[in-house]
Amino acid sequence: MALVTIIVFLALFAVFTFLGFAAAYWRKGDLSDLGQWALAGRRLGPYLAWFLVGADLYTAYTFIAVPSAAFASGAIFAYATPYVMATFAVAMIVMVTLWKMSREKHYITGVDFVKERFNSKTLAIAIAATGIIAELPYIALQIVGMRAVLIVMLEPYFPTTLAGTSEVALIISFVVLAVFTFVSGLRGAALTAIMKDVIILTTVLAVIIYVPTQINGGFAAAFQSAHTIAPKVSFATLSPTLTNAYVSLFVLSALQLYLYPHAINGVLSSKNVRTVRFSTALLPLYGVGLFLLTLFGVLVYAVPKALAIVHPAGVAANGTLVVPALISATMPDWFAGFAFLGIFIGGLVPAAVMAISQANLLTRNIIKEFVPNLKPKTETLIVKWTSVIFKFMALAFVFVVSDTYAIQLQLLGGIFIAQTLPAIMLGLYDRTFLHKYALLAGWAIGMASGIWLTLEANNFSILSTSFMKSPFGLLYISATALAINVLICYVGSALARLVMPSAKPAPAD
Amino acid sequence: MVKASYIPAALLLIIPTVVLLDVPLYDKLNPQLFGLPFFWWFQGLWLFIAAFMYLAAALILDRGDKDGRDA
Repeated sequence: MALVTIIVFLALFAVFTFLGFAAAYWRKGDLSDLGQWALAGRRLGPYLAWFLVGADLYTAYTFIAVPSAAFASGAIFAYATPYVMATFAVAMIVMVTLWKMSREKHYITGVDFVKERFNSKTLAIAIAATGIIAELPYIALQIVGMRAVLIVMLEPYFPTTLAGTSEVALIISFVVLAVFTFVSGLRGAALTAIMKDVIILTTVLAVIIYVPTQINGGFAAAFQSAHTIAPKVSFATLSPTLTNAYVSLFVLSALQLYLYPHAINGVLSSKNVRTVRFSTALLPLYGVGLFLLTLFGVLVYAVPKALAIVHPAGVAANGTLVVPALISATMPDWFAGFAFLGIFIGGLVPAAVMAISQANLLTRNIIKEFVPNLKPKTETLIVKWTSVIFKFMALAFVFVVSDTYAIQLQLLGGIFIAQTLPAIMLGLYDRTFLHKYALLAGWAIGMASGIWLTLEANNFSILSTSFMKSPFGLLYISATALAINVLICYVGSALARLVMPSAKPAPAD
Repeated sequence: MVKASYIPAALLLIIPTVVLLDVPLYDKLNPQLFGLPFFWWFQGLWLFIAAFMYLAAALILDRGDKDGRDA
């Protein structure tokens, strides 16, 4: 790794920092107002909304985890492609409805809606807490991705002090990020998201066009080498026994994405319904990049120099290094610096967006329930500070637990967030039938069964799978837990209306 | 108050997912494209088709909103 790589990386990081601060002056608003700070004044047009929501998809985690999983487990992780395709169809229907309602009633989070729709503080607090918890490992995984880049880039210079050096580099980057999001709010994230996406899209296209031309026989040869090196894994096609696992994984992931607080936050910052619609309609094109990235997990088998970085002789393979290793092994040094920075800020920007959305939830939907008389300025100030705290909590989390454990917690986070679907998505369309106590029961039992099934599938030891055995073959646990949850919501609502005829439907408009 | 424009729009949004739900349809090695197994390139191709169909749905819904003035 030449010095020029690091110089390009640092120069671009300086540009990134400048953009982050300059954003405060861009379309200036009163940044002590929460709608201004956290939703960029709800003025994002279709292009910016496209970049901002796309930024949540194209994270360091996707860059690192999806290729890593495809490298280890093969074709099942092609699910990323139908997942992104389906998730935007869900968004075009559900998020447009939520946007309209939020504009009318000045909601800033999805939980604001839940609270009013079901007239229940307890339910609102439960949903808010679920969102905050599910978001934490997501941020932590951004950091895992950023660290993978630092490891490949800094290894030649700090072979003995690699871990310490990359931790210092991470802390410095997070301080920079924390300061500029404190100052600029979501505007900082939206502007820097453009820079990040331009770099990343260029990188993905360059690598995917260039690398196969360097391999004799192109993709066909890569699939062949993958098969030879890892004969037990099916790369080219999906084993028919995994059909239901594949379907449940992509459908549930598609339903889950827009339940994450940061995704809802991105949608609510859009200027109007047209923006939500048109920016979402074009988002599957982002998926093309993700599709190509998944293939990196196969391509790496045909590039011996990269494979040596991912899987050095005599040690266990570190799949998280797939993408940085392929880039450093095949691309010119200056380009590697450019690409590495793209992945690195690909972790920072989403981390900022996620921490903002967690802070919104904690302040508006939990703290305010107990301290109702918060002044708007104080509320904004608390949100700003808690978003800083959440970022550093995630950083500390990564320094303490191992990478593999962080990834497993993310899987559990996905199962948790799915349990908020009845309150948020079904609640949008069902204006009268669903009852708050049934939803609370469904949420509680959904969460409990999700945890129980995960522990059971892993024989009550270290988490390594989120699939459970069933009469339909392997299934994503999230699907089962959500089915139980939804069933309880409807049966419970019917019972509640029978037992308590006075239980008036929540105020719907 | 289901508007007539909602039906074609809903179809445009649902069809791509329905097609990919039928995994055995495309879980095949051949025909290959640029050395990619059918399983891979078929799904990649649907990203482009979906973007096109969603855009059409957005146009239809957008016009419906203007007519019905509920935006």
